[in-house]
Parts: sequence; C-alpha cells; structure tokens
Amino acid sequence: MNFREYRIGSRAFGLAFGLSMSITLFFPSFDLAASISSEVGLDKQLTSGWDSGWQLADPLLNGLNKPLKVLVRKDPKSGEPMEPVYAYVYPAGTSLPNGVTHTANLGKGVEELSVKQGRITEARKESGAVFLIKKSDQLLTFEDKPLSYMENATATKGWTPDEVLKQAADSDILHAGSGKTMFVREGCWWCHTLLPEQTQDWQVFGAPPMLGDFNGESPTAFGSDRKGPDLLHVGSRNASREWMMLHFFNPRLVQPHSIMPRFDYLWGEVDADGKKIDFKKWRSEYDEYREGKITTPPDVPMYAKDSEIRNLIDFVINLK
Amino acid sequence: MILKYLFAKNEAIPVGSAAIFFGFSAIIWFMIGTGLGSFNAAKLAFPDFVTGTEMFAFGHMRQVHVLAVIFGWISMAFAMAMMYITPILGNTRLWSEKLGLWNCMMWNVSLALGLTLLWMGVTSGREYSDFPWPLDLAVAAFISIPLAVNVWMTIIKRRTQGIYTTNWFFAASTFMLIIVFLVGNLPEYFHLTGLTEAYMTWWFAHNVLGLWITPVAAAIAYYVIPKVTGNPLYSHRIGHLHFWSIVVFYSTPAAHHLMSAPLPEWLKSFASVEGVLILVPAIAFVSNILLTMQGKWNMFVENLEVRFTVVGVLLAIPLNMQGGFQQTRSINWYIHGTGWMVAHAHLALLGFSTFLEAAAVYLGLQTLMKRKLYSLTLGNLHFWLLLIGFSTYWISMTIAGLIQGAGKIYEVPYIDVVIAEHPYMIARWLGGTMVFSSTILWLYNMWMTAREGTVIPVGRMPHELAYER
Amino acid sequence: MPWVFNEPLVTLTHEETVARSKQLWEAEDLGGMTEDNNRLPVPVVVLVLLTVATAFLTTIPLWGQRPTAAIYVDYIKAMDTPEIQSIQETQGDDAAMKRIVEINKDSPFKAQQGRHPVSMNDLRVIKPQIEEIMKLPDVDLKDYTVVGPEVKIANFEGNYRPNGKRERQQPWWDKGYTIDLFYLTMFFLGVTITVKRLPPYHWQPRHHDNDPRHGDRRHNV
Repeated sequence: MNFREYRIGSRAFGLAFGLSMSITLFFPSFDLAASISSEVGLDKQLTSGWDSGWQLADPLLNGLNKPLKVLVRKDPKSGEPMEPVYAYVYPAGTSLPNGVTHTANLGKGVEELSVKQGRITEARKESGAVFLIKKSDQLLTFEDKPLSYMENATATKGWTPDEVLKQAADSDILHAGSGKTMFVREGCWWCHTLLPEQTQDWQVFGAPPMLGDFNGESPTAFGSDRKGPDLLHVGSRNASREWMMLHFFNPRLVQPHSIMPRFDYLWGEVDADGKKIDFKKWRSEYDEYREGKITTPPDVPMYAKDSEIRNLIDFVINLK
Repeated sequence: MILKYLFAKNEAIPVGSAAIFFGFSAIIWFMIGTGLGSFNAAKLAFPDFVTGTEMFAFGHMRQVHVLAVIFGWISMAFAMAMMYITPILGNTRLWSEKLGLWNCMMWNVSLALGLTLLWMGVTSGREYSDFPWPLDLAVAAFISIPLAVNVWMTIIKRRTQGIYTTNWFFAASTFMLIIVFLVGNLPEYFHLTGLTEAYMTWWFAHNVLGLWITPVAAAIAYYVIPKVTGNPLYSHRIGHLHFWSIVVFYSTPAAHHLMSAPLPEWLKSFASVEGVLILVPAIAFVSNILLTMQGKWNMFVENLEVRFTVVGVLLAIPLNMQGGFQQTRSINWYIHGTGWMVAHAHLALLGFSTFLEAAAVYLGLQTLMKRKLYSLTLGNLHFWLLLIGFSTYWISMTIAGLIQGAGKIYEVPYIDVVIAEHPYMIARWLGGTMVFSSTILWLYNMWMTAREGTVIPVGRMPHELAYER
Repeated sequence: MPWVFNEPLVTLTHEETVARSKQLWEAEDLGGMTEDNNRLPVPVVVLVLLTVATAFLTTIPLWGQRPTAAIYVDYIKAMDTPEIQSIQETQGDDAAMKRIVEINKDSPFKAQQGRHPVSMNDLRVIKPQIEEIMKLPDVDLKDYTVVGPEVKIANFEGNYRPNGKRERQQPWWDKGYTIDLFYLTMFFLGVTITVKRLPPYHWQPRHHDNDPRHGDRRHNV
C-alpha cells in the first residue's frame, strides 16, 4: 500500500456513497412521509386497491384482488332513495388498500379522522368492507379546501359489500381498480403519461397533480415518454363510452392519424350477447373499408360485462 | 460445451471460458434487443403492422426491448469485459472460471425467464425496475452478486501492489449495482406507495444508468486505449477526478427525472445542480482518453477496436451536454417527456456505451480465442451500419422531440404533433433496423473468427497482426 | 503515512513515501498497462469550474417560468378605473388594453408581463378567479399559475413560510442549494487531497524506457 492508499480510498468511497444515499433517500423521506392525502389521493387509493402491478394474489395481472367503485343511489339498508354517493366496495377476501392497513400513510389529520370518525381500522379483509370518502370541516394546509377522510361504511352504517352490489345497476359499477391493472399490464403508460406538467400542460391536459394525490397508490405509473396525450384528466375531457369503445377496438375508426395500437384482443372471445367475435372477418371488412371498397366500417362488437376492455374503459372514464 | 464445464474442476476449465460465453451471449442478446427495438419502431411508424395479438402489442414489447438491451447486451458485455480485463490487470487468473460460467448460465436463464414473463405482461409497472420483486431478487442473487464476488476476489488475489484505474471502476460499480438493485426495489418488497414509489423508481433508474453503465463503459475505454495503442494512460490524476466525481455526482441527481412531479423543490434544486455536475466526470474521462491517444491517431483509422472506443468517447460529449443541461429548471420544461429523451437514452446506451462495449467484446474475444478477427470488411460494415443507423435514429428522434416540445408549449392539439412526427418515426425505424442488421453481421463475423480466424501466436496481441480479409 | 503541509499545493506526502511511490510506479506492470502522472490540464480545471457556475445558473429558475396570478393583479385593478372604462367604450378593447399596459410600464413584473401578454378577453376570464383568491387570508398570488382561462395553485413544494405553509414557487435558494455547496466543498477537498498525496506532477515515471513493448513516446517530456 504505497502511494495507492486503498484503505483510505475505500473508506472515502463508503463515506461518499453513504452521504449521497442519505441525501437522496433519507432526507426526502421526511418530506414524503409528511404528505397529507387529498381527496383525489383518497379516491385513487380506494379505487385502485392494494396494488396494480404484480402481486401474489394476481400473478398474471388479470385484474384480480381489486375493489369496485359503485355509485350508490339507494340506501343499501333501507332501500330508500338517497343522494347518490360513490362507495368503494371491497368484496370479502380483497386486500385492503395501503392507507387502511398502514394508516400513517394517510397523513396528519386525515389519519386521525379516518381512524376515529371513519373507523377504518375495523375493516377486515376476510369479511370485506365498503368505504366512503367524507369531507370534514378542517382545511387542507396548502389550499383552502376541506380535508377529506375515509369512512368504513361497514362499521359506521352497516353496509356490507354484498348489499351495496345487489342494489346497484351494472352501469353504476366501475371496474376501475381492475382497469388500472389493465393499464399497467398493457403498457398504456409507455405512451400516455399520468403527470401533466406544472409549467406547460394545464390548458390541454388539465392541472398537474398535487402532493397528496398519490398516497397509497402503487404503482403510480407516471410514465416518462409521451407518444400520446396525457391521461390524468382524460375522463373530464371525454367521458363517452361509445367513443372509447371504438377507439380501443381500432383507434383509426375515430382518429385516422392515431398511432395507438388496436386493443381489440381485450374484448376476449365473446361479445355482450355471448356471441363469438369473428376478428378475422372484422379485420378483412375493415381493410375493405380502408381501401374504399365499402363505405362504412364494420360495427364494433359491444363488449361483454366481464371483459377486460370493460375494466380498462371504466378506469379511463374514471380519470377525472 | 458450457454444460461440460459447469461441473468440471475449476482448474480444468480453460482460461477465458466464462468471458467467451459471456461475449457471445451478449452479442446474441444485442441481436434480440435491437430486433425487438426495430419491430417496436415499425409499430410506431405503421400502427397496423402486426396487430391484434396481445403478445405483439407495443405495450408488451417495449420494456422487453429495454431490459434485453440493458441486462442482456450491455451488462453481459460488461461481465465479459470484467472476466478478462480484471485478471489481466492484476497479473493473475480469474478467481473462479466455474463461478463465471454458472453466472453466465444463470444470467441467461433468469433473464430469459424474466423477459418472457414481462412479455406476457407480468410487470411491477415501474420503469426500468419492471421485474416483479421475486425476479429482482433472482437478478441480485444470480446476476449481480456472483459477478461482484468474482471481480472482487480476483482483485483481492491480484499479484500486483497497485490497482489500475479500470479495476477501481469495476470493483466500485459491481458493489454499487448490488446496493442499487436491492435498495431501488424496496417499494416492491415492502409495498411502499405513492410519491415514494415514484421517486424510488427513478432513483433506481438513474443510479443503474449512472453507477453501473456509465462508469463501467468508461472503465473499458481506460483499458482498451492504452492497451491497444501502447501509450501510457495520460494521467493517473485525472483518473482520480473521474472516479470520485462519478461516485459523488452521479449517485445524487435521481430527482431530476421527476422535475414536474410535486417532489419537494429543495430536492429538485439539489438534484438538478448535481445533475449538471455529471459534466465533471465526463470532462475528466474524455480529456484523459483523448490525451492518451496522442501520437497514435492513425490507429483511429486503422484499428477497429480503437475506432469503436474513440467514437464512444466522442459520443460522451453530446451525451453529457444533453444529460447535464436538459434536466435543469431552465430547460427541462421544454423537452421533458418528449422524443428528445428517447434520443438521449439511445445516445447513452446505443451510442456512448454500445460502442465502448463493442470494442471490449471485439478485443476480448480475439484475445481469449487467440484468433485474429475473421473479416475487417464485415467489421467495418458493422461499425458504419451501427454508426449511421444510430445517428439516423438519434437525429430523427431529437427533431421529433423538439416538435413535440414546441407542440407542448404552444398547446397544439396532440394529434397534430403525432402527424408532424410521422416522417421521423419512419426514419427512426430505418435507423433501428440498420442497427439490428449490423448485429447479425457482427455475430456472423465473431462466429467465423472462432472457427476460421488466423491463430495468434503466443505472446502477441491481436492488434499486432494485420487484418486478412 | 506522514503528512507534510509546508508545500500544500505541490504535495502533502513525506519524501520517503514519495520515493517509494515512484519506485513502485515505475517498476510495476499492471497487465502491461502503464500510467503517467500528468497534472490536470488547465482547460480541464477551467471547464470544471465553469460547470459548477453553470450548474447553479441553469437550476435557479431563470427561464421557462409560467405566468403567475401576481403579474396580472395591477391589470385587473386598472380594468375598473373610469379612465380605462371610458377608453373601452369609445375606442374598444384593444386600445384599453394598450393603455393598461402603458400604465403598468413601471411594474416590478414588467419582464414577465412582456413575456406573457394577455388580451382584454383573457383578463375578463381570469379577473373573477383572481379576485376570489385575493379574498383568502395570507395569500401569495405568486403561488398561483395562470394558464389560458385557468388560475390554479401550483404544485411546487417550495420553501416553508413562517406560518408552516409552503411557498408554491420554484425557489431562488433553498436547502437543496446549501447541501450542494457543502457537497461540492467536500468533493473538491477530497479530490485535492487525493491528488496531492501522489508524487508531484513534475515527476514522470520512466516506465517506458526499458520496455520495448510499450509506447515509443512519453507525454509532456
């Protein structure tokens, strides 16, 4: 060990690397842990459930282990009509979201309200639970908007997942949680970001997300490389299911210049009436249409209620 | 043949076997990776090209291309370089050829498995750390840890007192890769969510590029240029500046990938300044290598390995100018999330680093197989197809990115941006396809070298022999 | 490993150590590789220092800033003055807008107003929104971004204010920059010490003289 003083060198290396890890991981962890879940954040977390990427309960990313977002129009207990409200239904056996299992994740204020008034710690995976988002009379620190919190309606109102699902029409049930799994699995986020930019994007893509908008969500799937428009608020720009259906089946039907791939395979085998979808025939007719041999494109088959495309459309429409 | 050696005694395995297997695996993965890239690019130019099957959907193939290139081509070429350069610099043999061979086989198996699953859509949904966590652990256990053990043990058992610059980088990078892999995937093991997950995703992505790919590629140039030209490395001191600035500055700017996310601004300020400072290692590296070339510039024309290396080094200049400045508050808002970034990523991986690794693989395979390159013509064709293909890709994507940036600022309807980008998408596909075809030529050339290259006499280096075809 | 500090800019190492280092440096064959001991070239040092300066300058928010609500406050106030209203009635919106800009030509936000011009119609759309925000207690209009017809709070998580809320602006200075300074100091100190522990740069190893395999020339002889 002459002029090359390796012992000093390796210590200096450890020091430098350790210092950089502390600054980039340890220091910001305080700021990140202090984030307080906003209403948007609570909605996203409750909608997408425990995780939307690979998980043991859904190894092939089929959209399993996911909650349903249900528009409740009638009181599930009494059957009386009520002011419509969104409920997040976790059928028995569905993993609860991170904010329920690790309440600190919700942030100061929200955690306390959700635990004390919302009784979320009483929710059990085995028996399932129904959650609501409530507004309190406290204010968010940075923007003068009311602080929202989670309520476990199974504990506070006695709503069980089965009762809520039974009284809801199918059109009031959003499979947005499973849809997020589709979004991740199909790699939508390789071309569509979920992160409008503070500096430029407001007018076209809407406002950028705020700090509390992601608590408990995983993966956030921001995306990094845009080849199509940002989708964070796409549901506010376009909420037409018919348009979405045509666009997913073959984007060129509604947008001739689109470079989006066709997602017709998400329709599965059969359409809404249980009839087998003849993709080959559809494609050849579409080619004829494209060549000008016929004047109208073939009809897009209506998707089945339990098809993967339904989940994905529900997710996209729900991006408000 | 690999099977025969896997269970042989370490002493019975010919020197360099592991490196040779790694070298050919790397070239094959390069072919697969760029083939996928070319296929994906075709889909962006012509969206109805191969359509309607889940397995051939763009969203299923994009990440396979990226990871095949990073963990198949680049990292395996690195492993190849480490397996033969580390022992040479320590005047010794590789600590364990057997471990190297097992490492190579397990690497191929786990990568093939991981990519197949990824192709099916089994993903964690996190860019660059797309593998689900069990596979991440497999990568750590079968890929990075055995490699690090072999490199470290070889350095510890060296027969010199000093350690040459290249080996500092190899030792540090193999160590940092393990840490980065294990720490960067924490959100998956422990289900960390929200902005923490997003930030850690980019912490991983940044560091795997900055602490693994960049330094190891540079370390290869530190070996190839002095070795082939015969010149001493210009300055041991600049080597210090380079090494320490990589460790210090490259490990910190992770947050600059998320300049538009609501991360704390102080973190962005910090990361962004550090991000510009990646120019420090770049300045040190480029100046050291180019100064080492003094008096031997004829080899830039005459010798294939030197040409590949120097082109890689020269590409480090635009790479770091872009990388340093595009992430600052002043510039990032214009080009963030556009094709500019795609061009930049390819400048880093297909430009800068691929050229350096290609030189290492050329030189290493010839040295270890003791055979002169089969055909200089094919080598030249490989070089020019790669360079022109890459340049076409880079220039077209940079222009596309600037169009996209302008579209973003002036709030042009997105579809008009898509229309304006179309010609560049076709150019990108042509460029990518040239790169893909060049790898096929390369594989053929190396295969023929193994079979029919002129035998190099004992005690001579491949670059001392004249090319024959 | 004694340290010597009489000539810190030349070397920090004791002569004996230097002698041993030199001997080893010349004698050792690292797989046929040799290294020279040239100093950091002056242009490299200059480039490194330039990089440090540029790093701060491009990170400090000088360019690419979106208009904030604050820059239009005076415009909005001017809209209600009798002068402007009469111009509006007699000569139309454009003339009125021109006059508003003229009135505000000494505004501290002059540069930003120039970069982000608005029409009277734009002002009519954002006026009620900005007025609504101004009613809030302790509000800083610089925290709000104006883009087209919308006035929205920015998602910058900037420095903390005394009341515990965060500035929602890109900061000119914050602890990130302070950590940068500390970090840079550590780095340059570290590298300088490392390099000064080596034999001084005017000494060059003579490893090539006896070795016919290696370079036929030496740098900077």
